[in-house]
Amino acid sequence: MAMKALDIYKHLPKTNCKKCGYPTCLAFAMKLATGKADVEACPDLDPGAKALLGGVTRPPVRAVTIGAGERSVTIGEEFVLFRHEKTFYHPPGIMVEVSDTWTEVEVRSVVDEVRETVVHRVGQDLVLNGVAVRNESGSADRFAETVRLAGGGSSLPLVLISDDPTAFEAALAIAGQYRPLIHAATADNWEPLAALAKQYGSPLVVRAGTPADLAAITAKCAEAGVADLLIDPAPGSLQGYITVATEIRRSAIERTEPALGYPIYLDAGALGETDAAVATGILKYAGIIVTPRFSRASREAALTLRQNIYTDPQHPIQVTPGVYPINNPERDAPVLLTVNFSLTYFTIVGYLEASRMPCHLLIVDTEGLSVLTSVAGGKLTETMVADALKKFGVADLVDHRILIIPGYAAPLSGKIEDATGWKVMVGPRDAADLPEYLEKEWKT
Amino acid sequence: MSENSPDKLAIREVRLGATRAEGGTREVSYVIGGDRGLPFCGNDAGRRLVALEICDDPAIWPPVVRNYVGDLVNNPEDWAQAAERRYGADLVRLNFTSTKKRGFNAFADIASTTERVLEATTRPLIIEGSNDPQVDSEVFRRCGEAGEGERLLLGTAEADRYRSVAAAALAYGHLVIAQSPIDVNLAKQLNILLRETGVPEDRIVIDPYTGALGYGFEYSYSVMERIRLAAIAGDDDLAMPMISAPTDTLSIREVREAAPEEQDAMAVAWEFYTAYSAFVAGASVVCVRHPLTVERLKKVLEA
Ligand code: SF4
Repeated sequence: MAMKALDIYKHLPKTNCKKCGYPTCLAFAMKLATGKADVEACPDLDPGAKALLGGVTRPPVRAVTIGAGERSVTIGEEFVLFRHEKTFYHPPGIMVEVSDTWTEVEVRSVVDEVRETVVHRVGQDLVLNGVAVRNESGSADRFAETVRLAGGGSSLPLVLISDDPTAFEAALAIAGQYRPLIHAATADNWEPLAALAKQYGSPLVVRAGTPADLAAITAKCAEAGVADLLIDPAPGSLQGYITVATEIRRSAIERTEPALGYPIYLDAGALGETDAAVATGILKYAGIIVTPRFSRASREAALTLRQNIYTDPQHPIQVTPGVYPINNPERDAPVLLTVNFSLTYFTIVGYLEASRMPCHLLIVDTEGLSVLTSVAGGKLTETMVADALKKFGVADLVDHRILIIPGYAAPLSGKIEDATGWKVMVGPRDAADLPEYLEKEWKT
Repeated sequence: MSENSPDKLAIREVRLGATRAEGGTREVSYVIGGDRGLPFCGNDAGRRLVALEICDDPAIWPPVVRNYVGDLVNNPEDWAQAAERRYGADLVRLNFTSTKKRGFNAFADIASTTERVLEATTRPLIIEGSNDPQVDSEVFRRCGEAGEGERLLLGTAEADRYRSVAAAALAYGHLVIAQSPIDVNLAKQLNILLRETGVPEDRIVIDPYTGALGYGFEYSYSVMERIRLAAIAGDDDLAMPMISAPTDTLSIREVREAAPEEQDAMAVAWEFYTAYSAFVAGASVVCVRHPLTVERLKKVLEA
């Protein structure tokens, strides 16, 4: 288990010499405790303390970067088994597969698709991360040529998939300077592959059927000087993947098997149902997901799922309180009250926009709680509603004095009327029923 | 509860539907729950069911589904039959959307639609009654009575309106969906309330409320994981199987505004990613609306 900052501090030199870049030894200890600093940064640690602290303070899953430059992707550095325990930090890189048996046109169309796919959601640009080149031709030259066609790693991160050291040599001669991911070192071929990975400073995937075999090979590769490793548990089914990935992540986090403390690699195409496999990788611990080309609809859903799962649950996305115009409302449009819980907000806006009904949406600050929870917990009160109406100048936006409140806030309707002087109408509980409600009930 | 090893189950077993031998008319009944650990891990035994949602008044039903199923939307029994025979759903969830109409009072239709849908189907049935306290008690009484002995799964009980559903379930031998707004503690409280009302624990299925993918789904995903972990840790008031119904999924902008030729693909992708993730989080029953999603989920679950 991880060590507390004060326990770590006991092992530091306590000279506050600042050579580590932190003002005090204690500040450094606090960074170490959260896995955000490296013991190597303190030059004055004796080797015993360094070994001890190194084992307990580095992130349980090693951070590994694939590719170089703007589109490079860093994965790993995870601390929990379930996102609600803290958060998941580094979303898996999704790499779309091409084969070296394909024509130039086919390869280029996938590369272009990966480069150009962007989904804009909630202020973020969601992208696919790279291209995986599979050596199926049996020819080292064709493999190298396809790697070149895929951009050679200079624009998009690459995964190089083969079992032939000669093919890797040829491909790395082209892409080696851009940290492509090498797949995969097995019990049989790990030695030449680890040597190549070391020579080029490339991350390397280790592949084996059981956690014990994986640990044995990663330990040897690490000893051979390759620090940036991934593990491919070669699952035979979705359930098999979830079972083994959970075991690997748990061993890493509990630090029971440091040789499993690396990001997981998942070949989604090998499991038949690509969409299910991609979703599984996103939900369950994959660092890199290699997938056959998938449809636009699937890409959007997958990227959205990845964004959702890697959203920090400690900071629920809250909507900024205020008054929001929907469908260009005029002075006779209804005013609807709701809370700043993002789920509530997005759902309501979705239905209102679909209905094309102009209205003003007044968002009050319930600390990101839903209507039901905030009414029950006293986070939505008549005073807050009165203050919000005043603060956001709602009376200046409309000619009427009618406020539609959510169905779940019905118990507050009388109090809100008294506190605001506005007439209150109780709306439906379900956002889905809002358009119909407005159509029937709204007449100024 | 399983007779053999009641102590070791993390999740209680719940039987949906009743065959003739069990006092109903279904050709099969299903046992959900009975899990011992994390979903999809190791010796996870839990049965997973895909329900296709249908309704008795399609006015507010997603256009993409209305277009796909055509005339079926006007005829719940044909729609239900197609759900089982043509689309391969494990069961149907019949939504009485007609009750959302202002001044609704066609109570006799609730009974007759329930009867006709039961007649047209051979598998267990989920019924989503009204969600208006004014009509709840009569709606649940009528559909409960019409399906007496069938072990229907009746929805939806919520903290401030659970009595009508519970009363119908108790009177006619049905099960209850207990919905709480994405909150472990509220889910637990509602289960306790239902128990105090007399609903046996093996007749409750938890609905943690499922937001649409991209619109807060992650909250639902995590709350399902937390409910499941609490059950594994021994919390008896949360040791019920879960049902997930991401009902807003087909109303979101991405689906609505997709190009006409891409509407089905977008609807299915969005439903599939959401529904499949809900299973991974621990749901035993997931409800979807597009028939093609049913087919894809079944294929993955059977693999
Ligand atoms: S470098 Fe080492 S001794 Fe100096 S302040 Fe940092 S932790 Fe303390």
